[in-house]
Amino acid sequence: MKLTVDERWDLIDKIAKQTVRYGEYRHTLKDAIAEITVKPLTGIPIAIAVLYGFWSFFGAFAGFFTDGFLVKLFDNHWLPWLQEVFPGKGGWVYYILVGDPAADNCFEAFGMLTSGLFVAIGVVLPAIVAFYLFLIILEDSGYLPRLAVLIDTVLHKIGLHGFAVVPMILSLGCNVPAVAATRTLETRKQRFMMATLLAIFIPCGAQLGIMLEVIPGYVGFVMIYLLVGFFVFGFILNKVIPGKSPEILLDVPPYHMPTARNVGRKLWVRVRSFFTVAIPFVLLGVVIVNIMYLTGFLDWLANVLEPVLCGWFGVPKETVGPLIAAFLRKDLAVAQLSAIEMTTYQLVTSVVLVSLYFPCVATFAMLIKEGREGGWKGVAQYLFGSLAALIAVVFLWGGLVHLIWIILGVA
Amino acid sequence: MNKEAKFMIGRIYFTIFGLVVLGIGAAEILLGVTGRSLEWGIMEMSGEFLLWRGLILSFAGAFYLSSIKNFADIHQQAKAMMASVMIWIIAGMQIFSMILESIPGGEEGGWFNTLEGFLASYSAPYIPSLFLLPFSLVMLYYIRLLKEVEEKRLKEDLSKTEVRV
Repeated sequence: MKLTVDERWDLIDKIAKQTVRYGEYRHTLKDAIAEITVKPLTGIPIAIAVLYGFWSFFGAFAGFFTDGFLVKLFDNHWLPWLQEVFPGKGGWVYYILVGDPAADNCFEAFGMLTSGLFVAIGVVLPAIVAFYLFLIILEDSGYLPRLAVLIDTVLHKIGLHGFAVVPMILSLGCNVPAVAATRTLETRKQRFMMATLLAIFIPCGAQLGIMLEVIPGYVGFVMIYLLVGFFVFGFILNKVIPGKSPEILLDVPPYHMPTARNVGRKLWVRVRSFFTVAIPFVLLGVVIVNIMYLTGFLDWLANVLEPVLCGWFGVPKETVGPLIAAFLRKDLAVAQLSAIEMTTYQLVTSVVLVSLYFPCVATFAMLIKEGREGGWKGVAQYLFGSLAALIAVVFLWGGLVHLIWIILGVA
Repeated sequence: MNKEAKFMIGRIYFTIFGLVVLGIGAAEILLGVTGRSLEWGIMEMSGEFLLWRGLILSFAGAFYLSSIKNFADIHQQAKAMMASVMIWIIAGMQIFSMILESIPGGEEGGWFNTLEGFLASYSAPYIPSLFLLPFSLVMLYYIRLLKEVEEKRLKEDLSKTEVRV
């Protein structure tokens, strides 16, 4: 059947008559709440409350599993059992796999099956689960896009836009998916800037979990210091790197209740990737550092780098071991730092250095992958550009912490 | 009592409550900045996040106070609602932490806490937000009241609106 134009309009009129009701649209409470969460005057205080909730949840949840049960399991049962049954006490294999035979806790033993497993499963896993659970709830409720709108003005100052908050927050879980998430940014300049900044300045969830164990009272200071560095160096990179930073239009969905099924599925996918990507690197890191220690390479390197480490950064030369481990896993490096004798301020400086220092190998591989879109030239630009930024940041921002301690008279 | 009167009572209630919340928030900020703590009966103002809690409570108090003008308006109610949500976040997280801390047996104890230890975890002193929590729940009544008003208005609107083509 073929309809003429008039007949079609008649049909449209009939359908509209039955289905469309005209009237004044009134705001619902949900609309009004959605509005106030994106306005800076009301949105920023709400964002502060949400972040407070996030940190409290993170600390309580991770602390419940780690301090409540897993420390006890690893220190009182797993370590003594391994020390008792593992053959060849004092040998190389024993040292690499079980670690120090006199150690009475898994943090200090430093074997692959003791510290390696404890860091990965006992400390990092609960932290990762807590982080992703809260993040997924924020994502699925519709709050995350509102946070993007809220932070848009600030991020514009460094040549990025509000949507850059997604890789930033993802980075607090793991830098690898965060570098991948920079693809949502429009220009190559923005993607490079974001990937470099988050690889340097944003500690991953695993590292945060260990930081809460090692320096619980100073995590806030470290985070603020890194965040300030993020914006300072972001501003500089925006001025130095050629390219455009265009505006975008962001679609903000309405608020809705997250479903348990979606939250569960997303959580499983993300935690599963932690098991397959992160845990092998933690175990490998322990093995490599132990081999370096046993062959004397670590002592040699510590002596060579002593003037820089002690003079410029004000940390003991022994931090060279954790700095090498940091290339494999930063959480492992922070755990190693706790076993080195130093003052609290040196420990805080070392944690800052581990954060700023080379991104972990998985992030590094991701940076190369992202640079590939511009061919070999693109890879070289990404790598050398990131490395140049990283060296400048480590020396300036890392040295500045030492200077702050000197001014305060505690270094 | 008609709805206007109920909203008027709400206005007075949230003015007083907003001032109390703002005052407690300011006190927590002051203690947080000076690094001190305060214990008053079964209430205590101390802990790692004292400054942050103070800041959030101050904002919540300011939200309540800014919502009292034209309190029956939906946008003003949204502000008061978010002020309550901010208190719920602090108090909720405190209750969540208390529950989680009460279950394990402690460093030297067994896997799980003893009954005495479990009950002791819930003993005073408490942070101010826990005392503010029940008073902030009054907001739920006003949300329900607002919903009733809105539904009534919607029905009236629908009966008045014409179907146009």
